[in-house]
Amino acid sequence: MKLLLVEDDRDVAAYVRRALSEAGHTVDLAGSGRDGLLLAAAEPYDVMVLDRMVPEIDGLAILRTIRASGVRTPVLLLTALGGIDDRVEGLEAGADDYLVKPFAIAELLARVNALARRPPPTDAPTVLRAGDLEIDLLQRAVKRGGARIELQPREFQLLEYLMRHAGRVVTRTMLLESVWDFHFDPKTNIVETHISRLRAKLARVGGPELIHTVRGAGYCLREPD
Amino acid sequence: MFGSTSARLAALFTIGFAAGVLLLGLVTFLTTRAALIGQFEQRIRTEAAALAQEYRVEGLTGVAQAVRERDRTPGELDYGLVGPGGASLAGHLAGVRAKVGWSTVRVSESGERPEKIRVYAIALGQNYQVMVGDDDERIEQVERDLVVMFTLAFLGVVGLGAAGGYGLSRVAHRRLAAITDTAEAIIDGDLGRRVPKKGSGDDLDRLAATLNRMLDRIEALMESLRQVSNDIAHDLRTPLTRLRQRLEEAAASPNEADKTLSMEAALDDLDAILGTFAALLRIAQIESGARRAAFRPTDLAATARTVVEAFAPAAEDAGAWLDFAASEPAFVEGDPELLTQMLVNLVENALRHGGPGVIVTIKVVRSGDGATLTLTDTGPGVPESERGRLFDRFYRLERSRSTPGSGLGLALVSAVAHLHGAEIDVRNLEPGFEVRVAFQPAAKPRSAGH
Repeated sequence: MKLLLVEDDRDVAAYVRRALSEAGHTVDLAGSGRDGLLLAAAEPYDVMVLDRMVPEIDGLAILRTIRASGVRTPVLLLTALGGIDDRVEGLEAGADDYLVKPFAIAELLARVNALARRPPPTDAPTVLRAGDLEIDLLQRAVKRGGARIELQPREFQLLEYLMRHAGRVVTRTMLLESVWDFHFDPKTNIVETHISRLRAKLARVGGPELIHTVRGAGYCLREPD
Repeated sequence: MFGSTSARLAALFTIGFAAGVLLLGLVTFLTTRAALIGQFEQRIRTEAAALAQEYRVEGLTGVAQAVRERDRTPGELDYGLVGPGGASLAGHLAGVRAKVGWSTVRVSESGERPEKIRVYAIALGQNYQVMVGDDDERIEQVERDLVVMFTLAFLGVVGLGAAGGYGLSRVAHRRLAAITDTAEAIIDGDLGRRVPKKGSGDDLDRLAATLNRMLDRIEALMESLRQVSNDIAHDLRTPLTRLRQRLEEAAASPNEADKTLSMEAALDDLDAILGTFAALLRIAQIESGARRAAFRPTDLAATARTVVEAFAPAAEDAGAWLDFAASEPAFVEGDPELLTQMLVNLVENALRHGGPGVIVTIKVVRSGDGATLTLTDTGPGVPESERGRLFDRFYRLERSRSTPGSGLGLALVSAVAHLHGAEIDVRNLEPGFEVRVAFQPAAKPRSAGH
């Protein structure tokens, strides 16, 4: 994927760029808001990663400008500000996701991947499939190999999110935010316990493991080979 | 003194008022003078016309007779009748040479100082002339009196204005100086100083009261800032020291596997420290009150249900039990995200410190237009001596010091409750512990639904 990274701190920029390159992406780096805006307007990118506070033109201004000119490229906003208002402000300016510094690089990679392959908004499938697993979003029904599986509402949401991001890593924080709407980090391992219950229910009807733990990053739902 | 606003205002008013008095004096003077002169001339003209009439009816003898008679009446007008060649015929103005019409003459009688007299002369026939006049000293006298009176009034007004202004500005100046002194003292570091009040409840007293309240708030904020700085300095020292040791270990370790292990432990420590910072920032943000702008009607019962559902499996796995009871929606004006976090912190706190097999029960009931959240656990409770500090930042019970935790969970709960105007009560049940958070009815009546 072709990515744009707008980040003024040279150490952070170099580290993030290397990590993204190692993950197989092509990264253009802009060290100031002006360069960032020029690149964002000129080149087609799959995902843009904007630091909120960069010299000359800040990240929010870049975001508003490119959104106003009709660029719909997914944007991940990075910020050192962790306030609720800051998050809301960023999303309202047109960001697709928001990550507070300092962050784990695995978290950034997972979020960039999640953004890039997001299906276009017009495409809204009502049934998701992965191997022999099938979930019907309208009837809220789950079947595996034809056998029905009863899930709690929250477990269903969890599975739906994993299916929508099948093949990609989703982090614990991403799950907390999108499934529970928790924008803070509880000490209790609620994600782990829900995942293990979901795994147990999926395993009860037989078949190979679908939800894999990715060490140091999160989870990944993969179709068996 | 004249640098003060009140003194300048008083001076300005005095000058304005004096100018007013001056203008009024001038107008009065001119009007009075015109009226007096008009009256004076009218009287003389009428008299002269009457004598001319006499001449036409009675002839010269009649006029001479009339002039002599009228001239003898004391305090009245002066008269004179002159004949051809200026021969004086009657009246004591007879020796005066005057043209027809108005003129001013000087007449001196024996032994008296010369009088200035305004004379009006009318020709009678070809050769005779009758004159009527009066001393215009009287008009001048009135003019002089008027000038004197208005000068005195003017001086009085200016004097009063200046004295009043001076007095008023002295009073205001003294009280404003007290405020300035207080501000200076505070700048110099005496944060305890307050503006003195007179006790009269006037505008300056109200200003002083408001300033004092502001100063109380600033002092409280400063105190809490100082407290937080101290707490951070003390309480982050331990985890930072641990982090340092781990990194030293990793650096010194010859074995790759050990190195990785130490590095991973160091990362966990670092995440815990960053978590503490995030919690501190969040508490500070909540305490600033800025979130209040985003308040909306929030169903506390639904929020509690979500939290209980999220935590029940983890609680079960840990051998604890999480129970929820609410029969109806309980709306409060609030921030859903912060209320969720408050509930999460309370639940986690109860699960963590309640001991093995703890049963945690959450109840949400509507009370009037407000709502009450009650969380009870079957744990060991909190010693009386430590209850007062339970919600302080970084405070941890003696017996929990060895367990992981930042000591910020309940501080955040307290900050959220405070932001929502809710009261927190805690008490030991025998056995167990109860936390009650009572939300007052919203100031704005909630419109149910949205």
